[in-house]
Amino acid sequence: MKTLFYLGTVLLCCFLNNVKAQHKNNKPENGKKGFVKIIFINTIHHQPVVLFDSSYRNPFGEDYTITKFKYYVSNMAFYRTGNRYSQKNDYRLVNQAIDSSLSFIINLPENKYDSIGFLLGVDSARNTSGAQTGALDPLNDMFWTWNTGYVMEKMEGTSPQSNAINNKVEYHIGGYKGENSVLHYLTFALPGNKPLIIQNGKTSTLIIEADIAAFWDAATVIKISETPVCSLPGTLAKRIAANFYRLFKVATVINEN
Amino acid sequence: MLVITVVLGSAFLYGPHRYKPTYLKLVTPKGWPKPPTNIFAKNPLTEEGFQLGRKLFYDGRLSKDGNFPCASCHQQFAAFANLDHDLSHGFSNRFTKRNAPALFNLAWMKEFQWDGGVNHIEVQPLAPLTDTSEMAETIGNVIHKISADTAYKRMFAAAFGDAGINSQRMLKALAQFTGSIQSYNSKYDKVKRGEASFSVSEEYGYNIFKAKCDACHKEPLFTDNSIRNNGSDVNTNLADNGRMRITGNAADSLKFKVPSLRNIAITAPYMHDGRLYTLSQVIEHYRNKINTKQPTVDSLLKNKIVISNQEKIDLLSFLYTLTDEELVKNKRYEDPEGKNKVFIHQH
Repeated sequence: MKTLFYLGTVLLCCFLNNVKAQHKNNKPENGKKGFVKIIFINTIHHQPVVLFDSSYRNPFGEDYTITKFKYYVSNMAFYRTGNRYSQKNDYRLVNQAIDSSLSFIINLPENKYDSIGFLLGVDSARNTSGAQTGALDPLNDMFWTWNTGYVMEKMEGTSPQSNAINNKVEYHIGGYKGENSVLHYLTFALPGNKPLIIQNGKTSTLIIEADIAAFWDAATVIKISETPVCSLPGTLAKRIAANFYRLFKVATVINEN
Repeated sequence: MLVITVVLGSAFLYGPHRYKPTYLKLVTPKGWPKPPTNIFAKNPLTEEGFQLGRKLFYDGRLSKDGNFPCASCHQQFAAFANLDHDLSHGFSNRFTKRNAPALFNLAWMKEFQWDGGVNHIEVQPLAPLTDTSEMAETIGNVIHKISADTAYKRMFAAAFGDAGINSQRMLKALAQFTGSIQSYNSKYDKVKRGEASFSVSEEYGYNIFKAKCDACHKEPLFTDNSIRNNGSDVNTNLADNGRMRITGNAADSLKFKVPSLRNIAITAPYMHDGRLYTLSQVIEHYRNKINTKQPTVDSLLKNKIVISNQEKIDLLSFLYTLTDEELVKNKRYEDPEGKNKVFIHQH
């Protein structure tokens, strides 16, 4: 597993370096622009997450509800061979409780894109440059005041298997500094190797699914009975974060022709 | 060109906002290093921003029950520390977990809090504002309360160009006020500038200071802003492991930020939990009471500091020269509505 992880890291670095090296060529060839609508669908076993009222069961036989599920998505980029178009200064807070936060539209140069990527969380630059606004406003309750930094994701709920107060389950995962960093850039091939096609003035759609079932079904075992709560950066947060990365995949691309 | 001038000119005269703030500049006193970063690089310092920050600093509405403005624990007459309180009072008769630090020369500080956990002056107020033992309020509620006040609408517009009120602007304004509080006019500073001279005892004390204290309390800020363990015994009630809370690293256990010694005579009590009430006790700590058995105790303190009784007296004389009366009496730092005096009696 370690070898695999290592190999993956090396490959990712090569990929990112390659992208970086060719970034300079990144000019929209004809100046034409279209749009992509990004939709996040948060699911459990491919069924949309119902906050508060539904009970779910993980592979360890633990029952749980979800009362809060929110995460930051930033630095979204769109790739095609040898080229990259990245969204700078674009920070989105996806919050299952707020419908309008589950989708957004961004401009893209007319092109065909083979893969996409985004940073789960907020990059370290924004963690160290003072008061922010919009999605990064601290009133969104995704900011640690006593140990400066944005929370990458919050998942909260309850479980009879939790020994925490009021049977709480709370994973507040974050950390941007050094060895405690949970920041992770996710890249995705598009389903069926079908490209995302952006045409002048048209809006294509890209659906990203985050399936919480994948959280429990990971190499790192996180059981509610053992670790119902994590609310600060560190080793545990990093282990839990690794499971969160697994939630995401591009489910569907719908090109408007 | 003429057309452009006319259009711009009329926009200026008849536009909806005449945003024309008065820009200010932070003084770097002679002989001081430049601040490590320009805290006003993305938050241009203006008179309007400063005055807005000043009003916010003294406004109880930033706390849940209205009783705990920033100024309740940061009093001007105590160089913006909390005089005579080891721990400060907060919401619902709770105590804070640490001694309120003095506020001055913050533009030279890169990390805030006793454990250095806050990395930017703009986000520092969020810690006391939301702490349930301190101001105990939510950011949303604060914005809601101050947005209802037309005086604030005017002041936000004057400071930022329009009447929009949000947490970012509030925090930037607070940073303009607190970041502008400067202390560089103590007797020590005047001696350095050739405007005054030390007494014999003060002069001796200064030499002792330079030989025995200056490694951590570095001139001219009287701190190197590092985070160290000074060998204080653990208070088991507070169980505060300092910097380790931030890094999770056992090597950082019991480490706290080196405070500035400027204005030290008026910022009692001392240490991160306010355990020592007099400067004499502080010197006793460093010459006799350092717990050298703690594995993380600072290497400079492993053998304690040798200070004779006479040296102690002279050192105290010198420390008194670090009091800056101009900071304490500066009208620009006072409560703009004169309410602050209440807090002298309230707690």
